[in-house]
Amino acid sequence: MIKYFQIGICLLILSHNWLKPIVIENKKITQTPAQLLNELVLKFNKIQNYQADVQMQFDIPFMRIDPLQGKVYFKQPDKFRVKTEGIAFLPKQNPYYALAAISDSNQYAAVESGTELIGTISTRIINVLPQNHPELVLAKFWIDPNRKLILKSQLTTKTNGTVQIEYQYGAMATYTLPDQMTFTIEIGKFKIPKTMAIEINAKKKEQSVEKPRETGIIQLKFSNYLLNQKIDDKVFSENSK
Amino acid sequence: MLYLLKTELYKIFRKPRSYIGFIAITAIVLLIEMAMYVDGKMYMMFFLQQIDANFQIEGNMLSGNMVCYLILQTLIIQMPLLVALVTGDLVSGEAASGTIRFLLTRPFSRTQIVSTKFIAGSVYVITLVIWLGILAWGGGLLIFGDGDLIVLKSDQIIILRAGDTIWRFLAAFGIALLSLCVVAAFSLMLSCFTDNSIGPIVASIAVIILFTIIGTMDLPLFEYIKPFLFTTHMIIWRNMFDNPLDLELIHNSLLILVFYIVLFLGIAIYHFNKKDITQ
Repeated sequence: MIKYFQIGICLLILSHNWLKPIVIENKKITQTPAQLLNELVLKFNKIQNYQADVQMQFDIPFMRIDPLQGKVYFKQPDKFRVKTEGIAFLPKQNPYYALAAISDSNQYAAVESGTELIGTISTRIINVLPQNHPELVLAKFWIDPNRKLILKSQLTTKTNGTVQIEYQYGAMATYTLPDQMTFTIEIGKFKIPKTMAIEINAKKKEQSVEKPRETGIIQLKFSNYLLNQKIDDKVFSENSK
Repeated sequence: MLYLLKTELYKIFRKPRSYIGFIAITAIVLLIEMAMYVDGKMYMMFFLQQIDANFQIEGNMLSGNMVCYLILQTLIIQMPLLVALVTGDLVSGEAASGTIRFLLTRPFSRTQIVSTKFIAGSVYVITLVIWLGILAWGGGLLIFGDGDLIVLKSDQIIILRAGDTIWRFLAAFGIALLSLCVVAAFSLMLSCFTDNSIGPIVASIAVIILFTIIGTMDLPLFEYIKPFLFTTHMIIWRNMFDNPLDLELIHNSLLILVFYIVLFLGIAIYHFNKKDITQ
C-alpha cells in the first residue's frame, strides 16, 4: 500500500514538472489575437516620437527615379512624415494607421486566419476590422509571436487602395522600430497625351508583349534613430520645409 | 576675313529686325516665369494628377530647372522662326537693296562671302541662345531656386536630381545651338536662290512649320519621312534629359545635323558661285 502511495506521489511530482512547460506553451498558443495585438501596442507605445535618417529607393514601372536621402519623423499616435530635399514619390498610406487603429481593443475586431512562414519565422496572421476608423477599412498583420513584431502588414484604405508593407528589424527591434520598410503599392497605368508632354517627333516604341507590372515598390532604410525627443507638430504640416 | 565677319555682324545687329528675336524671347520667358510663379504648382499638379492618385509627392516640384525645361519645350517651334527672320535675308536682302554687287567687288571670294555670312548668322544664334539661357535658366534659378527636374513623357516620368541637371542643360543648349545653325544654313541657302528679301524668310518658316506638323502626326506614311527631316533631329536636345542616355541616338542625330549644315552651306556656296549677278 505504501509502495503504491510512493509511486503515486512520484508520478504526481513528475507529471507536475513535465506538464508545467506544456501548460505555458498552451498559454502562448492560446493567446488571443487581441491579446497579441495589445502586447504589440504596449511595446510600441513606449515610443512617444522618433526621428531618423532615411534612404529611399524606388522601383516603379513607369518612373525613373534615383535613390534619395531624407529624414523621417513620427509622433504618437499616427503622425508620420518623410522629408526630403529632392522629389520623392511616397506611399499615400500612413504605415502607422494600423497601429493607431489597434491601440484601443474596443475599437476593432481581430480574427486569426492561420500561420505563415516568413523566411524562417513562423508568423500568425491576424485580420483587424477597425470600427469607425476614418480611413482604414481592413488591416492584416503577419506577427512574429515570440518577438512581438509585425513582419508584414497589408492595409486597405478607403481612399488610397491597398498597400503591403514588409518590415526588417535590427538593433531597434526592442522598440518595434524597423531598419527597413518595403512598401508594395497598387498603381494604375501612366499615360498622358503626346501633345501635353510636347513629345514632337518622338519615336514610336515597340509594344511590349509582357504585361506591365501593376505594383510599385518603395524601400525605406532607416538609420540613426533618435527616440522621444521633442518634435514640433509643424514638421507634420504639408507646407513645412 | 575677320574684317568681313565684323562687317556682316555690324549689318545683322544694325537691323531692328534682329532684335525681334531678343524681344520675343524676353517676353515669352518672363511671361512663363510670371505665370509659373503664380499658378505653377497647380499647373504641375495638373500633369501629375495620375501620380498624385497613388503617391504622396514630397519635395519642391517647381524648381528653376523645371521652369527652364518647360520654357525650352515651349520655344521649340518659335526659336527657329526667329532665327530664319534674320538669316533668311543675309544674301537676298543685299540683292534686293543692290549692295551685293558692291560686296562682290571686295577682295573676297564668293565662297568666303557666303561662309562669313553663315558664321555671322551663327554668332547671332549664339547670342540668342545665351540670352535664352540667362533668362530661362538663370532667371528660373533666381526666382524658383535650385531643385530636381521632373521630365514628363507620354508614358514615363523621369526625375533628375538637381546636381545631375547642370551638364544636361549645358549639353541641351549646345545641341539647341547646333539645331538653330541648321536653320541658319537652310535659310541662307534659300536666300542665295532669290533676290527677294522676304521670300526666303517666309519659305524657311513655312518649311519648318510643315516639317514640325509632319513630325507631330502619328501617321504610318510620315514615319518613313520623319528620319529625313532636319526638324526631327533638332529636338534631340530633349534626349539629354533621358535616364539612361541613348547615346547612339544622340550621336546619330548630331551627325545628321552637321551633315545638313554642310549640305545646305555647300548648296548655298555652289549656287552663289554659279549665280549671275546682274543687278
